[in-house]
Amino acid sequence: MKAQIVILIAKQFFKKTFNSKGLLVLWCVFLMALAYVTITGWQAFEEQHHIIGHHQEESRASWDNNPDKHPHRMAHFGSFAFREQHPLRIFDSGIENYTGNAVFLEAHQQNTANFSQVSLSTGLIRFGDLNIAMLLQIILPLIIFFVGYASITSERMNGTLKIIYLQGANMKAILLGKTLGLFLITCLFFIPALVALWSISFLEHDIINSQIATRSTYITIAYTLFFMLLCCITVIISATSENSNKALLSVLGLWLLLFIIIPKTAQVLGNYLYPNPSKIEFRTAIEEEVSKTGDSHNPDDPYFNKLRDSVLSVHKVTDVKELPFNYSGFIMSKGEKQTALIYNREHKLLIDKYRDQNSIAKNLVWLNPYLAVKEISMGLSSTDFDTYVNFLSQTEAYRYKQSQYMNELQMKYISNKAKGSEGKVHVIDSSLWKSFPDFKYEYISISDTLSNKLMAIVVLIIWLLLVVGGMLLFSNRFKIS
Amino acid sequence: MYALLITQFLRSKTVILAFGIVLVLGVLSISTGKQFLNQKQVAVEKTIAHQKKHLETQLSFHKDDIGLLSYYIKFSFINPVRPLAGISIGQSDVNSHIQSVGIVALEGQKHNTDLVNPMRLQVGNLDFSFLIIFLFPLVIIALTFNLLSEEEEIGTWKMITIHAKSTFRFLLLKLSMRLLFVFGVMILLFLAAKIILDIPFTGDFMAMCILSSCYILFWFALCLFVVFLRKSSNTNAIVLLASWLVLVVFLPVLVNNYITNSYPIGEAYTMAIKQRDAYHEKWDTDKIATYEKFYAHYPHLRKYGMETEGFNWVWYYAMQQLGDDDSKEEREAMYAKIKKRELLSRKIARFFPPLKVQLSMNDIAKTSLTQHVDFLDATTKFHEKIRLDLYPKVFEKQDPSSIAWEKYQPEFFKPTNEFSLGKSIVPMLLIVVLLVGFSVFRNLKYFS
Repeated sequence: MKAQIVILIAKQFFKKTFNSKGLLVLWCVFLMALAYVTITGWQAFEEQHHIIGHHQEESRASWDNNPDKHPHRMAHFGSFAFREQHPLRIFDSGIENYTGNAVFLEAHQQNTANFSQVSLSTGLIRFGDLNIAMLLQIILPLIIFFVGYASITSERMNGTLKIIYLQGANMKAILLGKTLGLFLITCLFFIPALVALWSISFLEHDIINSQIATRSTYITIAYTLFFMLLCCITVIISATSENSNKALLSVLGLWLLLFIIIPKTAQVLGNYLYPNPSKIEFRTAIEEEVSKTGDSHNPDDPYFNKLRDSVLSVHKVTDVKELPFNYSGFIMSKGEKQTALIYNREHKLLIDKYRDQNSIAKNLVWLNPYLAVKEISMGLSSTDFDTYVNFLSQTEAYRYKQSQYMNELQMKYISNKAKGSEGKVHVIDSSLWKSFPDFKYEYISISDTLSNKLMAIVVLIIWLLLVVGGMLLFSNRFKIS
Repeated sequence: MYALLITQFLRSKTVILAFGIVLVLGVLSISTGKQFLNQKQVAVEKTIAHQKKHLETQLSFHKDDIGLLSYYIKFSFINPVRPLAGISIGQSDVNSHIQSVGIVALEGQKHNTDLVNPMRLQVGNLDFSFLIIFLFPLVIIALTFNLLSEEEEIGTWKMITIHAKSTFRFLLLKLSMRLLFVFGVMILLFLAAKIILDIPFTGDFMAMCILSSCYILFWFALCLFVVFLRKSSNTNAIVLLASWLVLVVFLPVLVNNYITNSYPIGEAYTMAIKQRDAYHEKWDTDKIATYEKFYAHYPHLRKYGMETEGFNWVWYYAMQQLGDDDSKEEREAMYAKIKKRELLSRKIARFFPPLKVQLSMNDIAKTSLTQHVDFLDATTKFHEKIRLDLYPKVFEKQDPSSIAWEKYQPEFFKPTNEFSLGKSIVPMLLIVVLLVGFSVFRNLKYFS
């Protein structure tokens, strides 16, 4: 019986709103924007995918085409790692535009990821990026607020609320019905966006390891929870407001606060409280650390002199030239290990600093469900901070492996009497580096993402439970007239 | 009556709330600018100190091989961040303002990015320009959306039409009060920024103030236009907020999206690969050809000959230089794309005040992309200067200890100024005049 009333009220609200001219216009504009964003986003993704693939191949082809040469020449020839984008970046581009796309991986040196979109764009890029998630996270909530702010107040002001009440619907049913009706209206906007999301999933599912269907499922659930929550909040605000004017001002204020002011302020505050080192400080710290523990480029370095003496005594020889392996290859591999360790330690400190900066926004998910859905959406679309850090550590791991492989080749195949890497004298066969695998980027696994975003997911559920529970428990406190 | 109106205005909750929010965010934005400037300043100081120490260390490592020494040492070239950048950070937080380059191929070095948290980049800076572009319009909307409709809705409008000498004058009074209030807050914040960020009182600072004032006028004109459509308060609020959303949130991202997608920059990667390959292939190709190409670029160095036996530094640095020279075409293609993005941005921004103001503010503060490209070009010149200075020393195998290394200090980039205030504000003022003119004209019949 009660369910029937709820559905009746929901239907009535839906029909009334659906028939208004304003909504139709809004709907058309939204659909057009959605179509535009999806199509251009998709084209841009295909283009980028093509560009990245093409350059990765080109870079590898010239690696393979090197004639026989000294392995240390190949260590410096190096390779490029281009960041492969996840197809779901069409849905939510997250921080993609702000992260480097290409890293040059060579011996002795950790280069930065360069050529981010933002570094090649004008100041306009700082206004943000346009994608489906932006429409769902920023614009649709505002639409929900606009559509729903008068849901209860208008009935109360017309006096129709009393009539509904007298006809046997209690406040609980009215609130639930209005929420449901509002959610149905939301679905008019949300479902086309889901169609876009799932068409990406179906058409791009052949990309290896992307786990795209599972990701899309979780994204769908997260957004559904988010919109339900927003509908409840809107109806509650409408029910607690004296009149429509006040309800409108409340929801607009709330929107500005939750969606614009808090997210921005949180991040800025994070950066203010935990400033990260500048590049010069970062580099100086590494240099100092290296010279403290042992610098293989310093001919009189005590650490490497001691190492040489111990190697000489183990092999019972007096000169490095008499060793059974190439000594400079050996020293380089030790030096590489040393600096990589120090670099990784300093880099981890830097990343931790960034995490501290992000922590304020991350913890504010308890107060701001928008931040929660943003976290989840970016994470599942493989466009969040963790994904980027993961990319950087994969490139560094590959760089280290590549350098050490070349050092090993040098130790093994190059004569200990070789003076340099010039000319055709001290060379190794090119098949030796052709067999070294190309850089292959692996997306962060979905279980890792889910465990990273666990808090945000839990928060969304708790929020929804609290709001629905509160609405039902205190329904009799809402005024009818 | 004016005194009464002022009291009424100042007592309203909206005013206090708006003032509070703007003040808090104003303080936050100026502190953000201050912190940004401080960090950059510290980085510059550290760079100067570091270069000295770095030279000393490397000198002690490679006492007797100037070729090897020159391979390791790096020279800094600094784009000094001006105090105005604290107001409009623009792109200067992404793009490195310090270049540390050695005399090997430049293209592998100069695109290295600064260390910056991508999450922060995504959310955007809360600098003073953001406050002006984003928040001030909201305050203006909140203060004016019910300027007329509220009086009509609570029934006081009829009394005013009876009592006031001129209803138009009455509305003008109400509006001017809000205008004064907003301008007052803006000037207050600008003064605070000037003092805290140590901005000299120059034409550029004034240009920023004037630009911001025009932008605020634009929003007042838009609000006035909507208010004089004489719809209900709710409609006004929705219409104005929707215009804000479209103009400040939606259009900018749409425009940027369009520009980015119109000109994808794959050339950057092509250039990076080409530069690597062009240098490395020289290890295995004819040495004479390498020398010939290098000497064709720098004929005055030809006297250093073409030694083909074994390793020598002339050949090595010639190979390095050819890495840059041979990737010239790809590099130019990349910069051509960047130019196109820049041009299209400016073209579109002309019609939309928020975009125009952001780009102009960056231009004034020298934090725009153009500025950075200029800096990169200057870096290339700086690199060449250092190279041409060191080449003879290396090629003649001079003793490192005979060179006065202390004269190699970091150098500073001097940006050029080509911002035209008139071009930025005239279209905006034109829109203001049109909006105000139209709304007054439409309502002439109501005003006595």
